[in-house]
Amino acid sequence: METTFAPFDLRQVPVLLRGELEPIHGWIERWSVGRVCFHVAVICVGAGLFGASVGWWRAPLQAFYTGVKLPLIILLTTLGNALLNGMLAPLLGLNLRFRQVSLAILMSFAIAAVILGAFSPLMLFLEWNAPPMSAGASERLAAHSLILVTQALVIAFAGVAANLRLLQLLRRASDSTAAATKVLFAWLAGNLFLGSQLAWILRPFIGSPALPLQFLRPDALQGNFYEIFLSALKRVLFG
Amino acid sequence: MSVRAWNLSQVGLLLRAQPAALREWVNPWRTERALFCLAAIALGAGLYGAAMGCWRSGLQALYTGIKLPLVVLLTTLGNGLLNGMLAPLLGLNLSLRQALMTVLLTFTIASILLGAFSPVAAFVVWNTPPLTDATRLAAAEYGLLQLTHVVFIAFAGVTGNLCLAPLLRQWSGHTAVAHKVLLAWLAANLFLGSQIAWVLRPFIWDPARPVEFIGQEYLRGSFYETVFDAARRLLIW
Amino acid sequence: MIDQNLTPPPLPPLPSRSAPAGAPLGSDPAEQVPITGLLTAVEALLRQPRRVMFQLRQPPVRTVLLALLVIAIACSLIYGLVVGTFSGGTQLWAAPVKIAGGLLLAALICLPSLFIFACLSGAEVRLSEVAGFLSGQLALMAVLLIGFAPVAWVFSQSTESVAAMGALHLAFGLIAAYFGLRFLNTAFAHLNARSGSGLKVWMVIFILVLLQMTTALRPIVGTSDDFLPAKKMFFVNHWAECLKK
Repeated sequence: METTFAPFDLRQVPVLLRGELEPIHGWIERWSVGRVCFHVAVICVGAGLFGASVGWWRAPLQAFYTGVKLPLIILLTTLGNALLNGMLAPLLGLNLRFRQVSLAILMSFAIAAVILGAFSPLMLFLEWNAPPMSAGASERLAAHSLILVTQALVIAFAGVAANLRLLQLLRRASDSTAAATKVLFAWLAGNLFLGSQLAWILRPFIGSPALPLQFLRPDALQGNFYEIFLSALKRVLFG
Repeated sequence: MSVRAWNLSQVGLLLRAQPAALREWVNPWRTERALFCLAAIALGAGLYGAAMGCWRSGLQALYTGIKLPLVVLLTTLGNGLLNGMLAPLLGLNLSLRQALMTVLLTFTIASILLGAFSPVAAFVVWNTPPLTDATRLAAAEYGLLQLTHVVFIAFAGVTGNLCLAPLLRQWSGHTAVAHKVLLAWLAANLFLGSQIAWVLRPFIWDPARPVEFIGQEYLRGSFYETVFDAARRLLIW
Repeated sequence: MIDQNLTPPPLPPLPSRSAPAGAPLGSDPAEQVPITGLLTAVEALLRQPRRVMFQLRQPPVRTVLLALLVIAIACSLIYGLVVGTFSGGTQLWAAPVKIAGGLLLAALICLPSLFIFACLSGAEVRLSEVAGFLSGQLALMAVLLIGFAPVAWVFSQSTESVAAMGALHLAFGLIAAYFGLRFLNTAFAHLNARSGSGLKVWMVIFILVLLQMTTALRPIVGTSDDFLPAKKMFFVNHWAECLKK
C-alpha cells in the first residue's frame, strides 16, 4: 500500500478512514505544514457542510452561520487544548512530541469531519421532509427536536469512529495498550470539557424557532454550559 | 432421444416427466414445441373450463372454455420476463426462452391433467342438482361444485410443478436452488394468476349477472383487496 | 422417431452462474470479458454478477458505470410509465420522472455515507468503485421492476384503490431492493472489509431514504393539482392516512 502522498492528495482521506496505521504513523513521524493545512481544510469542508445542513432548516443564513461555527469549535478546541494534550501524553506514558500529539488529534477530528460531511446530504433530506419553519408551533418544535436528536446521534457516531481510529494509532505509537487508553480518555475529557463550553458560547446551531436569527446570542459570554446543566439537574431532582 | 412435436405420444412423454426428455423440450427452442404446448393448454384447460361452465348454460361453458386457458396463457406471458429474471438471480442459469418454455411445460402438464379430468368434472356436474331461480350462493350444490373444481385444479397444478422439480434439481445441481426457483415461480404465477382469474370471473356462475364473457364491473377491485376487506370485516377492524 | 433406449443419458448441468462464492473476482476467465453494451450489462447483472463487479474494479470505471446508470434510468422510466397508467393524465409523465429521479436522488444522498462505511470497515476501495457498485445495485433493481411491470399493469387496470396500488408498487420495490442490496453485499464481500456491520447499517438507511422519497415526491400513484406536495409528512404517517381513507 502506497504511503507517500502529496500533502493535499485526496487519497489520504480513505487511508485515514480505514485507519491504515503504517502510512498514518509515518505522517505523524514527519511533520509537514502542508499536511496540517490539508487536515484543517478537511475539517472546514466536512464540518462546515454538516453545519450548513443542520442550520438550513432554520434559514439559509443560519446555514451559513452554523457552517462557520462547527469547524470553528473543532479548531478552537484543538488549539485551546494543544498545550494540555501535549503535556498529558508523556505524563501518562506515551512518548509523543507536542507536534505529533497535535497532528494525531487533528487527524482524528479530520476523520470525524469527513464522516459528518458524508452525512450532510442525509441531514438535508431529513430537513426537507420535516415540517418547515412556517408550520404551526407544535410541528415546528417537533421538527426542531428531531433535527437536534439526529444531529447529536450523527456527531456521536462520528466522534466514536474517530476516537476508535485514534486509539488504534496510539496503541501503535506506544507499546502499552493501557497507556494508550489512558491518554485517549484524558484527551477526550479535556476536549469534551472545553468543546462543550465553546459550543455553549457559539450557540445557536439549529436555531430555536422561538428566537430570532443571530450569529451569537447576546448572552453568549454569560454563564457556562455546566452552570446551566447543574441548574437544570437541580430543578429536575429537587423541583 | 429425439422428439417430434405434433406426435400425440408426446403427451405421455411429458406426463412421465423424465428430466432428459423435458430438457430436450426446453433446449433448444423449437417453435412447433411451443405451439404444441399452447394447443395442449387450449384443449385441456378448455375442455375442463367447458365442464365447469356447463352447469349454468351452454354459453357459460363456451365462455369458461375460453377463459380458463386464457388465465393460464396470460399468466405465463405476463410473468415471462419476471420468471426469466428470477431464475438466474436465485442461482439457476436459464435464459429467458428456457424459463418461458419451462413454465409453459408446467402449465401444459397441468392442462393435460385437467383435460383428462374434464369427463369426471362433467359427470359431477351432470349429477349435481341443476341451477334454478331458487339456487343461492350458499347452496350446497354450488359449494360442492366449487370444491370439486378447486380440488381438481389444485391437484393438476401441484402435479405440474412437481414434474418440473427433478429437472430443475439436475440443472442447478443444488436441491435448495431448484426449490427456491420453483417457489418463486409459484408465488409469482399464483399472484398474477389470481388477479387475472378475478378479472375474468365468473367461471361457474354469478347470480347477479346474465351470462357474459366479462362484465364491466369485474374490472373494479382486485382479488387481494377483497381478501383484505373480508379479513378486516372478520376481525372487526 | 422415439429412441427405444429406456436409460436416458445423464443430464449435463447448465453452465455455472459464476465461480465459487469465495473465489477472488476475475478468477473465472468469463469474468474478464469486458462489458461492451447495455444488453450485455443487463445479461451480466442477472447471470454473471461477478463479471460486473470485476469490471467495475478495472479502470476506466466510467464506461461500465455509465452503462449501468443508463439502464437504471431507462428501466425506471418505463416502470414509472406503467405506474402512471393507473391515474393517467399528467401522471403518465410525472410518475416516470419521479420514480427515476427519486431513485437517483436517494442513491446520491446515500453515496457519501456508503463510501464512509466502506472505508471505516477497512475495505480497499475508491469512491468511483463504490459509485459503480451502487449503480449496479440501482440497475439491477430497475431491471427487476421491469419484470414486475406486466403484473403491475394488470392490477392498475383492475382496481381503483390508490392504497392498494401504492402497497403493491412498494412491495415490488422492496423485492427489487432486496436483490439490489444482495448484489451490493456480494460486491463488498470481495473488498477485504474487516466487518460487514457498517454496510448493514447503511442498507437500513438506504431503505428508509427510499421509503421516505416515495412520500416526499407524492403523489406517484393517484392525482394531485401540484407536482410536489405542499405538506411535509413522514412515510409512516402518510401510509396511516392512506389506509384510513
